[in-house]
Amino acid sequence: MLLEVRKLTKRFGGLTAVADVSFGISKGEIVGIFGPNGSGKTTLLNLVAGLMPPTEGGVLWKSVPIQGLPAHEVAASGLVKTFQNPQLFAELTVLEHLHIAAHLELKRRLGWRRLATLVRPDLAQAGHERAAQIVRICRLEASRDRLAAEISYGEEKMLGVAMALMCEPELLLLDEPASGLGAGEIENLEAVLRDLKAQGTTLCIIDHKVGFLGRLADRAIGLHHGAKIAEGAPDEVLRNPDVVMAYLGHSRDRI
Amino acid sequence: MRFQNRFLFFALAVALLALPLGVKSDVVLTILVFSWLQGMLAVSFNLIFGFTGQLTMFHAAAFGIAGYATHLSMQHLGVGYWTGTVLAALFVSVLSIIVGTICFRFRLKEFYFAIVTLAFSEMARLTVLNWNSVTNGTLGINLQEKPWLFGFKVNDTVSWYYLSLVALAVTLLVCSRLVHSWMGRCFSAIRLNDELGDTLGINVFRYKLAAFVAGNFIAAVTGSLYAYYLGSLEPGFLSIDQSLGIVAMVLLGGRSSVFAPVVGAVLLTALPHLIHFSAEVRSIVYGSILILTILVMPQGIYGSIAALLRKRHAS
Repeated sequence: MLLEVRKLTKRFGGLTAVADVSFGISKGEIVGIFGPNGSGKTTLLNLVAGLMPPTEGGVLWKSVPIQGLPAHEVAASGLVKTFQNPQLFAELTVLEHLHIAAHLELKRRLGWRRLATLVRPDLAQAGHERAAQIVRICRLEASRDRLAAEISYGEEKMLGVAMALMCEPELLLLDEPASGLGAGEIENLEAVLRDLKAQGTTLCIIDHKVGFLGRLADRAIGLHHGAKIAEGAPDEVLRNPDVVMAYLGHSRDRI
Repeated sequence: MRFQNRFLFFALAVALLALPLGVKSDVVLTILVFSWLQGMLAVSFNLIFGFTGQLTMFHAAAFGIAGYATHLSMQHLGVGYWTGTVLAALFVSVLSIIVGTICFRFRLKEFYFAIVTLAFSEMARLTVLNWNSVTNGTLGINLQEKPWLFGFKVNDTVSWYYLSLVALAVTLLVCSRLVHSWMGRCFSAIRLNDELGDTLGINVFRYKLAAFVAGNFIAAVTGSLYAYYLGSLEPGFLSIDQSLGIVAMVLLGGRSSVFAPVVGAVLLTALPHLIHFSAEVRSIVYGSILILTILVMPQGIYGSIAALLRKRHAS
């Protein structure tokens, strides 16, 4: 098991955002976590990525507990998260964004020898090859030299994914990658994510777009009011009466 | 374009190096020495403010403390000016590590970071003001010594002109290398958002501290040069006015490039000598210029001109 989430709970005062959630992710899987707005998806992801400490429970990453570790160390260990709304610099190009995200790659490759790049900047060039490769994987070639202010929302979201990929993740946590995208952009996103899976990256995607997750995920987990209400093959989970109730407010037969 | 840039750079360098041969006016050269020193201060401040996104108000303290520390180490340890400067810069670096650690460990940002660094800066100023036996309080200290460099005493305006110009060039070179290295890219990620830095595996605390210490180190070297060029030291070096003056230079010149703050520094240093106003009117005129610049050219003078040239080049 690559990632094991054990009885994770997060309370904000009287509000329980995540309640006693446990699940695991194996290498090479695509796991989809879905639930209506406010069901605790993003909080769950932030807990796993170390961006906030859990109230109770823990997270095992490759059998080592990581709760309480600083977020940058979690990212450095290969567990990388994207943002629902991409965090971009309007005045920088797509490629320049990838260079900013090349920190971990450079750190792994050079270690303290990074200091030498202050005197000889040419030593850092190899990271640029990886950036070019990721631009291809994410189908951003056409806009690689355009400013972030000039690209479409779909490309912005893809750039967020591309920046996370620069960190060489073993498990990529995607926070609502399909929200706000058109049908064509979602198709493109699916193709990119399938390519990533084929290349050995494990994916955990949270979204409320049921159709998108149903097509892509190997396994699905349903969340409602912070608690896990279903887990299994996407088709089965989507037919689960509790999940239907959570989404529609009543059973499908009554529609 | 690249060749043109290089050509422009060399032309500017040659012109600045040859300037004292043509310009014999001591007043003009003096204004330029002050401009280059203020430029160093603005460029180093911009490393923390423009590139890492932390509005520090500790810069005047780093600048002023270094002047006193250089003087005290020369007087009590019997070292020369340059060793004194290095010791002062190291002392300021240690202070910066303490102040920075407190601010960044508590994740102070924006307004809160500015206020807490301002409080530390005021603490330093009040200490300097009231520690009469060491700092001579409000009266300040007269500095008679001048630095020696390669067997020459840096005494007249022309030698100070070259010394300050070289110091500014070294500052620009160091800051440019930092900003364009992996460190600069970490600074950028932090400027946008701490959380983005975290998720990209960047140790946000470490890189904020690195920018803060590096900026203050350069401010300290500048403070030491400034005090010995001026020949005196007083608690006003550490004042809020001084900090705000640095902010004004950076906003006027622009904060998106390493070089831009120098433009603001030259303008704000030279302007009072070019246009004579009474002190009251001067404050109003400066304030108006600053407000107007921020409203009309939020990227600063240098940033706006650069953007205009880029647009023209593209079309």
